[in-house]
Amino acid sequence: MAHFKIDYDMINSTSLPTFSLTIDDSYVAAIYSDTDIQAELVKVLQNNGHIPIFDQEDGLYQRLTVEANIAFYHKWFGCQTPIPEILVLFELQSCAKTSLHMCSASDVRRVHYAKYFMSGVSPMVFREPIHGVDIRTINTFINMLQKLKDHHMPVLVLVSNMEHALLLGDAAYKLQKSGLQPIEIDDGEEEVSDIKSSRTPTIASLFKIPAKVDEKMILFDPPEIDYIESQDGKAMLVINDESYAMDSTLAEIEKKLEVYGFYRCHRSYIVNLQKVREIITWSKNTYSLKIDNTLQSTIPLSRTKIQDIQEKFSLK
Amino acid sequence: MNVQRISAIFEKDMKDFMKNMMLLMMPVIPIVLALLYSRMGDGDKELPILIIYLVVGVTFSAVTSSVMMTMMAEENEKKTLRGLILSPASFLDIIIGKSLVTGLITFISLTVSLAIIGIEPFLSIRAILGLILLFLFFLFLGIGIGLFSKSLAATSAYLMPIMFLFGFTPMIQFLGIAEDSMAIKIAGAFPIMQAMELHDSASWLPLGIITIWVIGAVLFMYVCFKRTTTDD
Repeated sequence: MAHFKIDYDMINSTSLPTFSLTIDDSYVAAIYSDTDIQAELVKVLQNNGHIPIFDQEDGLYQRLTVEANIAFYHKWFGCQTPIPEILVLFELQSCAKTSLHMCSASDVRRVHYAKYFMSGVSPMVFREPIHGVDIRTINTFINMLQKLKDHHMPVLVLVSNMEHALLLGDAAYKLQKSGLQPIEIDDGEEEVSDIKSSRTPTIASLFKIPAKVDEKMILFDPPEIDYIESQDGKAMLVINDESYAMDSTLAEIEKKLEVYGFYRCHRSYIVNLQKVREIITWSKNTYSLKIDNTLQSTIPLSRTKIQDIQEKFSLK
Repeated sequence: MNVQRISAIFEKDMKDFMKNMMLLMMPVIPIVLALLYSRMGDGDKELPILIIYLVVGVTFSAVTSSVMMTMMAEENEKKTLRGLILSPASFLDIIIGKSLVTGLITFISLTVSLAIIGIEPFLSIRAILGLILLFLFFLFLGIGIGLFSKSLAATSAYLMPIMFLFGFTPMIQFLGIAEDSMAIKIAGAFPIMQAMELHDSASWLPLGIITIWVIGAVLFMYVCFKRTTTDD
């Protein structure tokens, strides 16, 4: 069993809260924080134990083909897994003969994954690994995490996006100035029956959702809302790339908005079903909903709610 | 030292070399120069030692030093070494692997240009020893500069003084400076000039002087190496 422990002694920084976290080799830990705290945490990790962190700041050999890059790192790090298996694991077989500078950003990212994977460092720390890549690459990354778990490797993922933390981590934490708190990864302890409790919709017309911007109170039409997420117990209304704080809790809003076609798809998310563009199925049997807004945001969908949502969209 | 890592670097840099137009042109320069000089000569008559050593000087400065420098500076610039270097030992592997590539390319370029210009003067132990020492001198100089130059653009600036000081030293005779002036005397002690001495006299002293130059280059490289490894 390999462990990796971040404790009070390591954190010798004024801008980080003191916390202690032990990462086991049996699950992937994800820490969600804003970028400043993340940068500070990375600095701490680098100073202690000189852990090489996956942050894609290292270059790759642009002139060489993907295969030549892989072959070099494979030999350099003395990796035991055969090269063809690496190529298949990271879905690089289709672009193996292409020079790296001709490859798409997602392909290059998978080469980065492969390089870090072959380096065999322990523990593995990833910083924003799936930021801005396509779905196939995210799936590859999830597969790799699975493989690392099989190899008993402690893994830590640092992200600045809660959806990514929930998607990647078996245990997700939120790091703030006040400290480290676990984000509960729900598996539907709230029963679906509760949501479906018989309520007669009252006046459906003339209904607006209030939210605060600075001191102003703004009223939103339910159909323009993309989704509502919960942050520190407060509900945040998200429309495109902007979010607005609300006064009520998620549970209260859920009741109000149900009639407008909103659905509690996750413990901390309510989604506007009208805006769902795609239901993404990840390889480890987890799901996300892709929202049809300018950011194409993806929000998590609980395992227990997938059936429900398929019924709602009459997919079954 | 780790043979597997050295061979990994060697294979990677050979492949990279073949795809890098900038490096690929370097070994061609002395060959073209050799062709030009051999056309300029009187056909049958052998070219003067001075011209031959000019080609040798260009080969070592434009191929050995510059290829080595460029390869190392590119790794620095593109940050490709980050994540590879886990200890100073692995850093040594990288340098050795790259030196092997440089050595191979220099050997090919030098053999071809000497074959064009006339290889006969070099068919003696002393001349070959001289060439090997010269190669080492220029290689260590290249490594040293490659270690601290952070970008490709900087290397071209560093390469110029090396080329003119050490590569083109025989040219100083064409500058019209008096035979007994200070400049000629100092230039006479430079490695290429000493290698030319080998052909004029039977003494082993010039080889000794070149060895001192090589030791100087090794010291220079060592200082640069210490500086880069302790920096981060």
